[in-house]
Amino acid sequence: MELFEIYLPVAGIHFNVLVLLLIGFTVGVCGGFFGIGGAWIVTPALNIFGFPMPYAIGTDLAHIGGKSIVSTIRHGKFGNVDVRLGVAMILGTTIGMELGANLVIKLEQMGLAEGMIRKMYIVFLGAIGSYVLYDYLTHTRRQRQVKAGLEVAATGETVAQKLQRIKIPPMVHFHASGITCSVWLPVLVGLTTGIVAAVLGVGGGFIRMPALIYLIGCPTAVAVGTDLFEVMITGAYGAFTYGVKGRVELIAAMWMLFAAAIGAQLGTVAIKYVRGYAIRLLFAITIFVACSSVVLKQLEFQLASAITILVAGIGISLVIIAWLVKGIVDERAGRLPANHA
Amino acid sequence: MRREHFLTWARAGVAALLSWALAAPAVAAGGGKGASKLVNVADTRGLEPGLSRWIAGVYNESFWLFGLLTVAVMVGMGLILGLATDKAVGLLGINLGKISHHE
Repeated sequence: MELFEIYLPVAGIHFNVLVLLLIGFTVGVCGGFFGIGGAWIVTPALNIFGFPMPYAIGTDLAHIGGKSIVSTIRHGKFGNVDVRLGVAMILGTTIGMELGANLVIKLEQMGLAEGMIRKMYIVFLGAIGSYVLYDYLTHTRRQRQVKAGLEVAATGETVAQKLQRIKIPPMVHFHASGITCSVWLPVLVGLTTGIVAAVLGVGGGFIRMPALIYLIGCPTAVAVGTDLFEVMITGAYGAFTYGVKGRVELIAAMWMLFAAAIGAQLGTVAIKYVRGYAIRLLFAITIFVACSSVVLKQLEFQLASAITILVAGIGISLVIIAWLVKGIVDERAGRLPANHA
Repeated sequence: MRREHFLTWARAGVAALLSWALAAPAVAAGGGKGASKLVNVADTRGLEPGLSRWIAGVYNESFWLFGLLTVAVMVGMGLILGLATDKAVGLLGINLGKISHHE
């Protein structure tokens, strides 16, 4: 294995290239499929293999910027990126992150930051995962009832539909998402998710993706693509800000990006072969894994926490690759259902 | 009275000894001046001339330049790899046009 060891001069450590490629590929597949940056996989994974934490965060953010470009290009061609919506969200997110960062400083001054933030993180992940899973189960039950020819109760208005009805000018039509709403809706959703992301100390992809679906009303694939568009911008900014602080191991980021680009392309193309609700189900499972990893961390099982997240990341990306392969085989054999374009 | 006097002197002696013991490393390290900010330096010793050494050189020269280099490399690589992998996936012979959104 020494053959694959390289010296990383900025972090001042020797590191195995195969580990960098594995981490990059895994997070690339998950990122392209879910529309997230994947810092919650990369940072602990790099850290358990010996990367000092500040360099792990900076290097992760740097490669996220590059990797998201790969996914955004492909999602754009699929028609999954709503640029207008993305820009409106970025405005809100930027202000929200600033407010969130100030809130964290206040919590720190009160001596509440460390414990409180981790507990909030656990509650938040649990709540998002439970809601997405509940939504998936409800949808599946209804589908089964429809198939069986049973009478299905009316669903009523969703939260997103209620929010879209609030007519505060200017009203904007978001073409790719197929929705019309006040521009203030995505700005406010961006603001809220930005505050939460900054307080929890994360990029926010896993908060924004469900927010785009359940609060704004985007189709799942558009939520994934639009979120990646935002991750691309924030990732590039993160690369710069950590770069000027000298906390990016550029050689490692380049190796990771190389594998992440391949993974991101595959993860993004896999979207074509799965239904939105399948994405939501796997996303809910991913969120629960992330939640259990944070619980392990809270219980001071640092190594177990990092291993859980890395193994789960590899497992989830294998599931996505399997869906992709099945989809390609079915498409070539002409077995793909008519609504799968 | 004499005992109390002795104890006062003994306490002062211990305090002085402790102060000296605590201050000694700082004095040995350059004498009492405020600590200067730690500087991160990439270790280029033993690195062959090439990309790693060049990047480490930029890092040691200026963090601002290094920050700009980081963004340029990541964006450039992202664009090149994005277009290259896009072409490669196209070779699989699958339809990569716009998809309909089915939930």
